[in-house]
Amino acid sequence: MTLLSLIVPLAVGILLGYLLRNRKLVKLDKVSLAVIVILIFSLGFGIGSNNELLNALPKVGFNALIISVLTILFSIAFVKAGRRMVKT
Amino acid sequence: MIKYVIAAIALGAAAGYLNNNFLNVIPNALVSDQLFSVTLTVLLFVFGFSFGLDKDAMDKMKRTGPKILAFPLFVVLGSLLGGLVGGLILHIDVAGVVAVSAGYGWYTLSGPLIGQLFGAELGTLGFAANFFRELLTITTIPLIVKLDKYAPVASGGATTMDTTLPVIMRYCGSDMLITAFTNGLILTLIAPFTIIAIASFI
Repeated sequence: MTLLSLIVPLAVGILLGYLLRNRKLVKLDKVSLAVIVILIFSLGFGIGSNNELLNALPKVGFNALIISVLTILFSIAFVKAGRRMVKT
Repeated sequence: MIKYVIAAIALGAAAGYLNNNFLNVIPNALVSDQLFSVTLTVLLFVFGFSFGLDKDAMDKMKRTGPKILAFPLFVVLGSLLGGLVGGLILHIDVAGVVAVSAGYGWYTLSGPLIGQLFGAELGTLGFAANFFRELLTITTIPLIVKLDKYAPVASGGATTMDTTLPVIMRYCGSDMLITAFTNGLILTLIAPFTIIAIASFI
């Protein structure tokens, strides 16, 4: 997907939501949960049908997992510490 | 919520594997690209719409303002340090592992790019490690969000503008929309540059 194909629906949504503020509207929660589940399914489908990825995992999976966990934890720590610096 | 997400990803992976290797009922891209794009477009619209409707979320965003631009910077620093520590612990080419962590979860970029710059072995590692970053962010988000309100955004890295955005919205709320999207956007834009910069340093 291109950058524009992500930004356009987001911007149109924000604008429309802003314009329709103060009106009674249906709850979108249930709709979005169903769509999220479909999206995650398609994401899983992309993983399962990617033989290059599936072949890579037994070879480098352990190291990759360690690196990934460290990268995640340090990112969280930096963001948490950084939040205090910029006060948000 | 999370059990549906984990079930969906597992079922999707099983269906994708069967279809690709045995059944060939439908073209893979129809699900992994087209269905993904359509659902993501719908969700971006819905999230945007909810955000636009939500006066509190917009006010909160206005108060935070340009400070949200600091988040991706912290994620860059944390990721690179995580890679450095990982390389030292695992005794793998440290610069290569730092480049791997500079994929910020964007595995379709980091696999091939790191492969080209650092060789096939590190390319495979970059592919798998960044894939795990996306997968772990999605599957462990109920735990991650307890560490910090912004922790899922930090964890997701470059993926917070698309693949991990939906779960982040569910767990962090509407006011996280712009922060998460901007974070993913900026990290996506700088991922190739940081990887290339690290390669040219060594």
